[in-house]
Order: sequence, then C-alpha cells, then structure tokens
Amino acid sequence: MSLFTHVLPLTLGAVLIGAAAEPKQSDYYDRQEIPLPEGEVMEIGSIALMPDKKVAVTTRRGDLWICEGAYDDDLSKVTWSKFASNLHEPLGMFWKDDSLWLTQRPEVTRIQDLDGDGIGDVYETINAGWGISGDYHEYAFGSSPDQDGNIWIVLCLTGSSAAKADWRGWCVRVTPEGEMIPTCSGIRSPGGIGFNAEGDCFYTDNQGLWNGSSSLKWLKPGSFQGNPTGNKFHKLADLPAPPEPKDKSRITTERARFPDFIPPAVVLPHGLLGQSPTAVITDKTEGKFGPFAGQVLVGEQTHSEVQRVFLEKVNGIYQGAGFHFLEDFEAGIVPMQLSDDGTLFVGGTNRGWASRGSKPFTFERVRWKGETPFEMKTISVRPDGFEITFTKAVDPDTASVPANYPMSAWTYILQSGYGSPQVDQATPVVTEAKVSEDAMSVRLKVDGWVKGHVHQIEAKNLRSSADESLWHPTAWYTLNEIPEK
Amino acid sequence: MIRLWLGLSASLVLSTFAQDGGQLYETYCGACHAPNGEGATGGQFPPLAGSEWVEGSAERAIQIVLHGMQGPVEVKGKAYNLIMPPQGMVLPDDQIAAILTHVRSSWGNTGDKVTPQMVKQARTATADRKTPWTAPEILKLYPLPKEESPLRNLTSRIYHGSWKKLPKFEELEARNVEEEASGIISLKQADRKDHFGMVWEADFMAPEDGEYYFRFACDDGGRVLIDGEVVLEVHGLGPMSGGRTVACKLDFKKGAHPMRVEYYELTGQEGIGLAWMGPSDKVLKQLTDTTIRKNTGGPEPIPIEPTAGRAAIYRNFIADTTPRAIGIGFPGGINLAYSADHLAPELIWTGDFMDGGRHWTNRGQGNQPPAGEKVVKLSGKPILPEGARSRGYQLDAAGNPTFHSTLGDLKLSDAFQASDGKLIRTLSLNGAGDPLPIFISEAQKDSRVNGSAKLLIQPDGSTVTQLTGTMTLGIRDTVDLSITASSLLEKDKDLYIVLSPGGSATLTYSWK
Repeated sequence: MSLFTHVLPLTLGAVLIGAAAEPKQSDYYDRQEIPLPEGEVMEIGSIALMPDKKVAVTTRRGDLWICEGAYDDDLSKVTWSKFASNLHEPLGMFWKDDSLWLTQRPEVTRIQDLDGDGIGDVYETINAGWGISGDYHEYAFGSSPDQDGNIWIVLCLTGSSAAKADWRGWCVRVTPEGEMIPTCSGIRSPGGIGFNAEGDCFYTDNQGLWNGSSSLKWLKPGSFQGNPTGNKFHKLADLPAPPEPKDKSRITTERARFPDFIPPAVVLPHGLLGQSPTAVITDKTEGKFGPFAGQVLVGEQTHSEVQRVFLEKVNGIYQGAGFHFLEDFEAGIVPMQLSDDGTLFVGGTNRGWASRGSKPFTFERVRWKGETPFEMKTISVRPDGFEITFTKAVDPDTASVPANYPMSAWTYILQSGYGSPQVDQATPVVTEAKVSEDAMSVRLKVDGWVKGHVHQIEAKNLRSSADESLWHPTAWYTLNEIPEK
Repeated sequence: MIRLWLGLSASLVLSTFAQDGGQLYETYCGACHAPNGEGATGGQFPPLAGSEWVEGSAERAIQIVLHGMQGPVEVKGKAYNLIMPPQGMVLPDDQIAAILTHVRSSWGNTGDKVTPQMVKQARTATADRKTPWTAPEILKLYPLPKEESPLRNLTSRIYHGSWKKLPKFEELEARNVEEEASGIISLKQADRKDHFGMVWEADFMAPEDGEYYFRFACDDGGRVLIDGEVVLEVHGLGPMSGGRTVACKLDFKKGAHPMRVEYYELTGQEGIGLAWMGPSDKVLKQLTDTTIRKNTGGPEPIPIEPTAGRAAIYRNFIADTTPRAIGIGFPGGINLAYSADHLAPELIWTGDFMDGGRHWTNRGQGNQPPAGEKVVKLSGKPILPEGARSRGYQLDAAGNPTFHSTLGDLKLSDAFQASDGKLIRTLSLNGAGDPLPIFISEAQKDSRVNGSAKLLIQPDGSTVTQLTGTMTLGIRDTVDLSITASSLLEKDKDLYIVLSPGGSATLTYSWK
C-alpha cells in the first residue's frame, strides 16, 4: 500500500500541470496520413479537388493519380488509380470543364479522358509561351483559375539566379483561350501561388538573391517584386522597363523611388517562421476548419509546417501578420488544398531539399476537432499601434499589461547577394494595452515602431479568461504602411 | 523611449549575446544535415558527424558556410550532388562560429573551437566571391586532412619503352630509382608522358588482422603483386574508366606485406589509381595521388519501359533535343523523342527507352540521353514556318501519340506507331490555307524511287518532285526513311513534304 500512496499524488500533479500549461496541436486538429499506392514513389507536387469527393495528385516524377475515399473516416480503404504517367514536373492542378488542368514545367495542359477508361487520352497544350532552357530549377507554379478563368503562373529564375530563357523571373497569366499575359516582374524562386479571400493573387518567394527573407508577396498586375534578374524580358512584349533597385539598399528606400515596387505583404522571417514557403491557399470553409475563416495558409517545405497569415490592405498595399499554425508533417510540404467541408489536404516531398519531416514523401489530411484554440486571431494596424483580436476572451488582468507584449523589429538588406541578416534592429515599446469590453480584442499603443520593418510581438504571459496560455504566442507583422486614421 | 539602432550591423548587435550553437544549428542546418549530424532522410544529404570535411583546419568549413557549395562532392565515401545555399549574407560571424563550434565538437567530432574572429578573417579573405564553392575549388585551398600512408620504404623506378602489354620489368634496366618518403604512388615523378613504365615497391603495413579490399585502375596497363602473388591486373591499352577497374579481397595478418606495383603507358592520357579499405574502414583510402572510387556515384538507374502493351511516355529533359521533349517508348523497342519546340520527331532509337534515374534522384539536374541503341538525330529545327504552335497530343488505347499543331487556320496532325521494328509516321493536314511545306530532313543524295517521280525545277532554284509511289532515302547511315507522299520540295538542301488541306503522307523509319 505504501507504494501507491506515494506514487498517486505525483501522477495527478503531473496531469494537472500538463493540461493547464501546454496547448498542443492534437487538442484542436487531427492530422492523418492517407495511405499511398503501394510501391509507388509519390512525391506530391500538386493536388486538385474533383467532383464526387475524388482527389487528384501529381508527383514530381510526373504521374497523375486519382484517390477515392480520402474524405472517409476509414482511410485504410482508400483506392488509387493512375490517370497519366511521366508528365513534366507539374506544380499546379485544378478540375474544370470535365478536365484536369495542369501547369507543367513547359506548358499549361488540359487533360481529358474522352473514352472514359480512367486514363487521360487528350493532352491539349493550352499555352507554352514561356521559355525553358533545360535547367532543373526553372520551375513553374500555376494557380487555380481566377474570377476571369485565368491561370496565374510564377516562373522561377534559371538556377534561381539567372534568366536564361524567356520570362524567367516573371508572373504570367494564361487566359482560357490560351493567350499569355506577362503580369509581374521581379520574381526569384517561388514555392506556390494562390488567391486570398478577395481574389487577389499571392505567391511565396524564397530567401536568396535580392530576397533577404522568404515572404508572401502580392502579385498586383504591373508590379515589380524585388529581383531584377529577369527585367530584360519586358522588351519581348513592349512593356515598360521594371525598376532596377540599388544593391545593398532597403525595400522602403527603393519603394520610394519606384512606385511599382510592391513590398512583400507578409515577411516570413527566415528561420523563425519557416524557411522555404510553398503553397498559398485561403480558408473559405466559413468556420469548418476552425476560427480562422478567410485567412491565408502557407505551406512550409523545410520545417514541414503550415503557417497562418492574416492580410489587410492599408493605403492600397497589402500587409499583415504571420503565425505558426500546424506542424509535424511527415515530409516537406509543397501543395495544399482545403475543401469546403474543412478537410485540409497536404502533400510533401523532401527529395533534393531536406525537411524536418523525415519521410521521402507524404499525403496527409488535417481536420479541425471542434475545440477552439486560444490564439491571436488577427493583428491589424492602427494609426498609433496595433489591434489584436483573439479567438477566445482574454483575461483582462494579463492582457492590459503593456509589458506583456514585448516587441522587436528589424528589416533585411535588399541586395544581390544571397539572403540577408536581420538589420536596423529596433525595440518598439507598447505604452498602453486596452482590453475591449467583450475581452475579445486588445488595442496596443506602440512607441518606436518602424515603417517597413517586421514587428515581432510576443505575448507569452497572456491568459484567456479560462486561464489558458496562447497556443502560439508569437506573431510577426510586416508594417509596410501606417494608416492615417 | 525610441530605441532605434539604425545603421548598426547585425553582427554588432547580436554579438552582445552569447550564441547557442546547438539551437542555431537546429534552426539553420538541421533540416538537411539532421539534428544528429547524420544527414537528413537516411543520409540523402551529407553527414557532418564523422565527416572529414569538418575535421582539421576550420577554414574549409567556414568558407563552405559563408559561400555555400554546389556540384559533386564525396563525403565519408559517398557521392552527393546538391546545392548548399550560402549563409554568409544571413548569419553574422558569431553565429557561424557558434554553429561550427557545435558541429566540430558534437557526435564524436573533435575539431577545435571556431571563433568569430576566424569567421571574420575568412569572410575578408574571400569577400569577392560571388558563387558557391565547388568541391575541387575548396579542396585546392583547404585539402582534406591526409592520413599517414600505410606504404613504408616506398621506392619508384622509371623505365623507357613502348609496350602494349606488361613487359618483364625485372629484365629491364631502370632509368631512375628514387625513394618516395611521402608513401604516395604518383606519376609526377616520371620524366615523360608517353612511352614509359614505372615500378613501385613498398611494405604495405596492415594495421590489424582481417579482410582487406583493394581497387586498381590504370591508363594504360599494369598489375599489383602482394606477398609475391599477382592480385590485380589491368591488361592492354585503354582509359582509366570504370570498365577497366579491378578489385580484390585479401586476408592479411597485421604487419608488413611486400607490395609491388607495375605500370606502363604507351601514348595519350596516363594515370594510375590504387585504393584500399581495412577491416574497420567504411571509406576507400588512396595509395595514389589520383582518387578512385568504390562506384561512379551516379544515381541508381530507374528503367522506364512500356507496360501491358502500351507505349510509355517520358516528359523531361532528353539530351540532344530541345527542353520541351516528349519521349515515347513503343512496345518492341522502338523509341521516339518528339520536340514540342520544333514540332518534330528529333531522335529515334531502338532497344531500351529511358532511364529516369537522373531526373528522379536528388534535384534531377541535366539532360538524360536515350537508354537504347542506334540513336539517330533526324533533324534539329522547326518543321513548320514561324507562328506554328504545339497543341499537344492525343493517345490512342495503346498509348500511341498523335501530336497536333496549328498554323493560322491550318491543323497538322502527326501520328506515330511502331510495327515490325519500324516507326510509322502519318502526317495529315486539315483546315483552310495554302499548301504547306513540312520539313522532314536534310536532302539525301542516295534517294531511290519505287514508282515514278517527276522533277520540276522552280525559278528560285528549288525542285519539286511529283511522286507516285514511294521514295526511300538513308539517314546517317543508320535508318532508311520511306516516304509516301504526292509532293516533295527540295530547297536549300532541305527536304520537305508539301501537303494541301485534306492531304496526308506516310513516313516509315526502319533501322538498317
């Protein structure tokens, strides 16, 4: 008996502390691996949602498979059928007009199964208007169609550092009629492309030359995204010459010189919030995927994560906050799709680029379990600070203490070299924290912020009214613009 | 309350804090090199634990972190071909120092501490460098630590003569005899590049009892004798490529084993490589100043072939055609690479179709040549006038492709199938427009007509052949091309088929 009396109190204590202190992903989200066809190498590069709850995926080897049962409770019963083989590294796919539309490395292709035998037979080239030189790094990431039916495609630089074929370093749109419209310049090495809730197009660009940190960027038509390597191609279409930014400058400085230079909407600080961002999707589930309806989700290859992004438009420019969200995927995440019923599908690979998830490839789904995590939901800029909204009511005692919002800010060098350290460090200070009447938001007054900087906000000491700590207490807000009112 | 440190460099700000090398390593390096230093994904990425690249002088590792590294590299006896992004612009001196100190003192590594000052000096020394290092570049500046050679009392002898097979060196008189205190077998001591031979003698000091592995290659020939027995021999004349490499396993007792290496070179390239591995080794160690590897380090082959009687497809970069290549492997060993840039069948070959190993391993750099034999390049330019566009292809039930292209209102379909070891191509033109010349090949002088042909000389010097029946011509001495078409145009030494809307032509490619 003496053994039990000694052990029992210890065990209880440990359980209680654990429940109160550490919110974890499995409390809120259910992540499951979807079984893949046995013996196949399924390095997934794109995902398309099809009618009748079918899901199509393409692999980096170029195979196109269709999965049935991916929504069912019992995933052990999923079935796979091969629809096409050995296409040219597709990185973008959607279903429209009884067809799968692919952005392959060299072209946009519409694939149909005319004889209905379950294998694609017509491979129609819709557009092949951009150049490829034979370099493996000349990736083409394609979007789903926009409101006008156009596919947006971001074209990686040759070797991610040169422009040896037409339109490398540009974003182009391909119309349903198959015409190509050069749309934005200044691109380096994209990892994915998609639309926000308003239908504006965004892509992720990876840290490297002329890219101090990876970020989510707004593809405003006619804009320049920061890397001048592909600028020369404007001559091919009689377009105005894109900006030639100065080396070792700052984005804010160059923006002032070139109005078409659109700054990154949300910087994903290198190492802190991933380091190889990929897919861009928007939560249009109206709450079926948790409390973040309308927000953008960004895939992350190296860290095997999914980040969450809140966007707002200030003075005509997008900016906003990035947050950690989902983690522990089995390989590096490349494509994602979120179905209307709230099932997030992610695909991954780590061939050639390593990831924390140690499997060579993966296909997974994530569903919200219905339990709301205590999180910063949005961070919006105000003329004198920020307003943070929460997913649950905050404890006013901890939320009204300015010192509970320690901040730091920095930017990156805009330079022709690879990446950048964090520079021009500042330490903004929260001078007032006012909790709203419903305790769902806090107004922060901030002294010493810096326009153009990434602002890190750490709210570790905050508690919810139910005495929970934040699941993810750190956020990074990119302050491109400050509103007048 | 504004605390703004504008203009201060990050290194100045951050160096006021002690850096946690382990944590920085996990953040910036761990994804590829793995938290345990063994290389991520079961060693698909180079290990740092026990890596010879990490040991010894720290400068090599500092430079690689600063500028990155690309291209083929061998680490712990395994070949890699990846890119490590440069970190010099991202990480300040003290963070790089902390990371490398962590790496050099973890997982059994025993390198000295790296200081921010060392990183700063290294940074200054290569400030002008713009591109990542390649392995040969960095090894030239910072060679890997050399182990002591197991060859004691090494001597070299040089002989002059022209041999196509191994001479009896013991009956010849050496021009020169030297002691080689380095313990390294090298041709640098030879006084000429052609028409010579060399013999080395030494005691191979086996460090322990057990099984030893030796690998030997040379250009031209030679042999290795250990304990008086011939254990390895490369015969005749030829290069030092993998095919002439030989290997053996021997059981040794710890201690001295007399070794004799004989070598001859006739003309051209010369070289000798000899390497060994002891019972406790995982890596080949070189006895020569030329490195020979256990294998070539290339990717494992992944054969792609037709299945279930259906043609296979391969869309990727195929060597000697254009980047928009579409490979088709028909059942029966007939293969085609169609260029969607040139709207043309550009390569045809027999036997195996394609090897996916190059493009489906690591990042998939480069062009892959066909896997089979009798590869013929049919042409290398567009077959239709400017303005024509590829519209893709349709596959029939057997996977045979019909490629489509358009020029204005004209639609060309180009269908391929294989039969009886031949490739059969059917061109059909539809839509509205003038007759369209379709480029087929360079004109051939040896064309033969089966039927009748009427030759019309045009004012511009070109000729039009009105054909009833079939014309056959040879291409590159390998393929016979039979053309059944009503009108052929020969212009500027090029041969075209002229099709009117509604017209078609058949071409049969057969290997000689």
